[in-house]
Amino acid sequence: MSIRTFAAIDVGSFELTMKIFEFSGKNNMREIDCISRRLDLGSDTYSNGKISKEKLDELCRTLKEFSDIMRSYKVEAYRAYGTSAIRETENTTIVQDQIAQRTGIRVEILSNSEQRFLDYKSLASKGESFRRIIEEKTAILDIGGGSIQLSLFDNDTLVSTQNLRLGVLRIQEFLNRYANRTSRIENTIQEMAMAQLNTYKKLYLKDREIQNLIIIDDYISPCLVKLTGKDRDKTVIGTEAFNDFADRLRESNTVQSAKMLGIAEERVPLVFISAVLISRIAELMEAEHIWVPGVTLCDGIAYEYAEKIKMFQGEHDFEQDIIACAMNISKRYMGSRKRSETLESISTTIFDSMKKIHGLGKRERLYLRLAAILHDCGKYISMVNIGETSYQIVMATEIIGLSHTEREIVANVVRFNHSRFVYYGQQITSSLDRESYMIVAKLTAILRLASGLDRSHKQKFKGLKAALKENQLILTIDTQEDITLEKGFFEDREEFFQEVFSVEPVLKQRKNL
Amino acid sequence: MGEIDFSQPKYYTNRELSWILFDHRVLNEARDKNIPLFERLKFLSITASNLDEFFMIRVASLKDMVNAKYEKPDIAGMTPTEQLTALSIAIHNLVDLQYSTWNRSLVPKLAQSGLTIIGSHEELSPEDGEFVDRYFEENVYPVLTPMAVDSSRPFPLIRNKTLNIAALVQKKNGKGELEFATVQVPSVLNRIVLLPSEGKARRIILLEEIIERNMHKLFLNYTIVCAHPFRIMRNADLTIEEDEAADLLKEIEKQLKKRQWGEAIRLEVEEGCDKRLLNILREELHMEEENIYAIDGPLDLTVCMKMYGLEGFDHLKTPKYIPQQVPELPAGCNIFDAIREGDILLHHPYQTFEPVVDFIRQAARDKEVLAIKQTLYRVSGNSPIIAALAQAAENGKQVTVLVELKARFDEENNIVWARMLEKAGCHVIYGLVGLKTHSKITLVVRREEDGIRRYVHLGTGNYNDATAKLYTDIGLLTCAEPIGEDATAVFNMLSGYSEPLAWNKLALAPLWLKDKFLYLIGREKQHAKEGRPAHIIAKMNSLCDRDIIAALYEASVAGVKIDLIVRGICCLKVGIKGISENITVRSIVGNFLEHSRIFYFENDENYEIYCGSADWMPRNLERRVEILFPVDRPELKEKLLHILQCQLKDNVKASVLQADGSYEKPDKRGRSQFQSQEAFCHEAVLAAKAATEDANTVSRTFIPEVHH
Repeated sequence: MSIRTFAAIDVGSFELTMKIFEFSGKNNMREIDCISRRLDLGSDTYSNGKISKEKLDELCRTLKEFSDIMRSYKVEAYRAYGTSAIRETENTTIVQDQIAQRTGIRVEILSNSEQRFLDYKSLASKGESFRRIIEEKTAILDIGGGSIQLSLFDNDTLVSTQNLRLGVLRIQEFLNRYANRTSRIENTIQEMAMAQLNTYKKLYLKDREIQNLIIIDDYISPCLVKLTGKDRDKTVIGTEAFNDFADRLRESNTVQSAKMLGIAEERVPLVFISAVLISRIAELMEAEHIWVPGVTLCDGIAYEYAEKIKMFQGEHDFEQDIIACAMNISKRYMGSRKRSETLESISTTIFDSMKKIHGLGKRERLYLRLAAILHDCGKYISMVNIGETSYQIVMATEIIGLSHTEREIVANVVRFNHSRFVYYGQQITSSLDRESYMIVAKLTAILRLASGLDRSHKQKFKGLKAALKENQLILTIDTQEDITLEKGFFEDREEFFQEVFSVEPVLKQRKNL
Repeated sequence: MGEIDFSQPKYYTNRELSWILFDHRVLNEARDKNIPLFERLKFLSITASNLDEFFMIRVASLKDMVNAKYEKPDIAGMTPTEQLTALSIAIHNLVDLQYSTWNRSLVPKLAQSGLTIIGSHEELSPEDGEFVDRYFEENVYPVLTPMAVDSSRPFPLIRNKTLNIAALVQKKNGKGELEFATVQVPSVLNRIVLLPSEGKARRIILLEEIIERNMHKLFLNYTIVCAHPFRIMRNADLTIEEDEAADLLKEIEKQLKKRQWGEAIRLEVEEGCDKRLLNILREELHMEEENIYAIDGPLDLTVCMKMYGLEGFDHLKTPKYIPQQVPELPAGCNIFDAIREGDILLHHPYQTFEPVVDFIRQAARDKEVLAIKQTLYRVSGNSPIIAALAQAAENGKQVTVLVELKARFDEENNIVWARMLEKAGCHVIYGLVGLKTHSKITLVVRREEDGIRRYVHLGTGNYNDATAKLYTDIGLLTCAEPIGEDATAVFNMLSGYSEPLAWNKLALAPLWLKDKFLYLIGREKQHAKEGRPAHIIAKMNSLCDRDIIAALYEASVAGVKIDLIVRGICCLKVGIKGISENITVRSIVGNFLEHSRIFYFENDENYEIYCGSADWMPRNLERRVEILFPVDRPELKEKLLHILQCQLKDNVKASVLQADGSYEKPDKRGRSQFQSQEAFCHEAVLAAKAATEDANTVSRTFIPEVHH
């Protein structure tokens, strides 16, 4: 049986961690080593905007050691991801280049939504216990150094996710600067947090009932896992029990807490901040149970890789989560669900029939669906300038699971669906590369054609069939209704489609019942 | 009844005085008529080298405390000054007993057995005199450096631990004043000189006597008024003993800077030494009366070890024991296959240390092995382990070695081969800041068909193939996943990475081990309180940690039966009414040095048994990296329990601590004699024999080889 060895590296804001995994057979993932070293990159980035030379040297030294360890395990592949400390530093690319030059390790930068998505995937790697818990109303609180992420579930699908700049290290940084009296610390945290949390509650939580709160963090989780034992599936505790635990922390001084938790003293304040945040949010949501599965980003990185090499097949449909999130955004901006569904159906029909020509894959199909769902969210702001406003909304709204680049692709497709296509190189603001831009063009062509077919918004084209015949894309529609309007729009839009694919779309109507 | 304060000094014995008792027990072996004569010589030599080390480390350290005006009492409530006073008396008694053993027992017995020791050159016959004089001129004279002291030449530096001859000399012409002269007995020459003899009988004289006889040849223009050997011990050990408190260390470091070289802390002179000569020595070396030892016999009895090495007296020695094959590991077997079949327990020196060496040797050659990681502490320089590690690195394995340079006496030795390992491509970690790495652990990571598998060796003794023939130690070879994970975490920590989330099986000092022991002792206490059976058996080298002892007292009060097997220092007192009546302490001093640490906890009839590298001493539990590991497999647990039970049954080599603080041999009346070490030897021989016989059973049918 073939065994694959993989290394997941997390260049976190507080700690560098590498986990070595071994995949053998389907769904058999085993952690064989976990190496971590404390390195506080976050405080440099959050307070000075830059990683100091000393920290960078130390970072490279450690990564060099990691690379030696990888070699000793004969690791076949690795992924190294940097999170907020690297992402938010002013000279990200220089840091990345330095690391690559000095250690040979390519550190990729995770956008917040990608990072949270990986965290979320690591949860799913818990399998059964994860599935059972999200059967009830559940929220995930993912606490990072720079920010926290709150995600809500509805019927075992993720429906919304929001990022709040309340990261543990960020709060700690603030406290170090402004709160010099220890008695004030908790109040300060609370004031900082509650202002944002209350807004969050008004906007997103509303009357949603939450039963379970899942915690992902690198601060309190290790301690709780240590206290409850390694059997991670048993780490569900009642909110009251958690509050008792937080109380005990509150009443102990740093030395006592460190001893109680079995951690270094410098870590105690971070654990405390994390505990306060959890308590407050659990209270806000009126959650009954808190689950601390003790998963880390590295687990998610490995899960993602295992999925990719087909060594792992999770039960949870993550694509559905992304779609659900997009639908929720659309709903917030009064998008029509029916219209979205029709558009999605038409455009995917076209997409699927054109596979040979466009050569795009599953992921791009997802972009198309997202673009279809979000195609007119901008009309909430302006009926005239739908393209631009939709683009702005998509760019400003986090969609969990999409990287920044991916989001930009979707946003551009949405935009050019309405406004004139801007060719590569003409647009100065875009950070997309040539390849991604080509995806934008192709998806735009398809989406434009599809929205032409549904111009009347009456969903006449629901049973559309598409077939590729030489240089023609034959679209057949069974409908008794008059499709003059659509035909007109269709002809108007086929030009761009032809330009992109060199395929002529032909619309045929069959009126037999 | 109020709570008892178990930490009261009156419940504890001073560790230094307890150590003296240990040396007494070794001396008892030298006095034991049932032991072969030459073995007794060896024990006498050991008492002497032990005492030297004790002076250099412990007495020196106490002196430093006094000099630094550090007056904090120890766990028995004694200040450093009080300890020194008490020690001086105890050591004088010990030395007196050493020499009465030498003069009254050993020397006459040796003469009867054909080894005559000429005690002083005055006793030489004229023929022998001629022989030694010639020997002096040919061999000794060229390497001597005589030194005289006068107004232009200051008192010379007398080197630590060296043997010297001091003399009072007087200019031949005129009535000049008495002058002091000294010469070092060269350590490059054998101190034992064989005199010509016929037949099997041997006669020997010590080198210093020959020099003394020929002193006049060194100071030609002088008359030798008197000449006597002397020896000093210096507080030369500039590395400060780790046992002391940190605040003290700082103070002493300051003091050390002021001092040019170590002050003399012991002066040994020949008994009957000329008073004038002694006065000069005393003044020049700033010796106090209580630190001067008048010796009735040869100075530095470690010379006995050299006598032990004389050929032709094998009948007066214990036959050499050959460590036996481990039944689970027949010669030539693949050690990894064998370990996969089940954990293997090794009991040295009854069983051979070879499998441990083999473990690394095979790992070095094995194609599937990815990495070898090991901690090394006091390793012999030409160790096959070092060679195998270097080989492994050359074969492209990742080899990580933690070399403890702070190991007491052989730092230089360590550096040489550590550099060699580095050259071979090993990743060498030179110890940890502020901590001594005392744990003995080896991890071999192997990539097998079904994934990574980790093989671990854990031990109670050092990876030293030489001492493994003399020290009793336990080793465990396992590929159990939980221990493999922990072992990986141990080496990650030793490489400076963060601790793991949780430990599966191992307990590490300095972070977790003490709490683990206190927990285990506390659990027995709880069981006793609930009326359930509760029993602790613990075997170690030294017991002097206050917290542990207090916990043991508490457990004893609750009704836990506690049997301790402590070879050396024991600060715990037995038989204190209402405190330690349930505790027994015995010490086993035998042919092999008891070195294994085994801990048994009854745990409500579901007993747990642990082995480890740590004694119950503050330095082990708080300032060293140590590992305690459980042995889980029932048949191996039984083996370990058997070892403990045999040691508790030993009534020949054991001494039992009494309520008055002394050690007595157990009452043997009505009981057959039982020696645990002998029993273990016997068992190992039988087991090895049974295993080879099994393998040699010839089958009546032939089995054709199918694969080639």
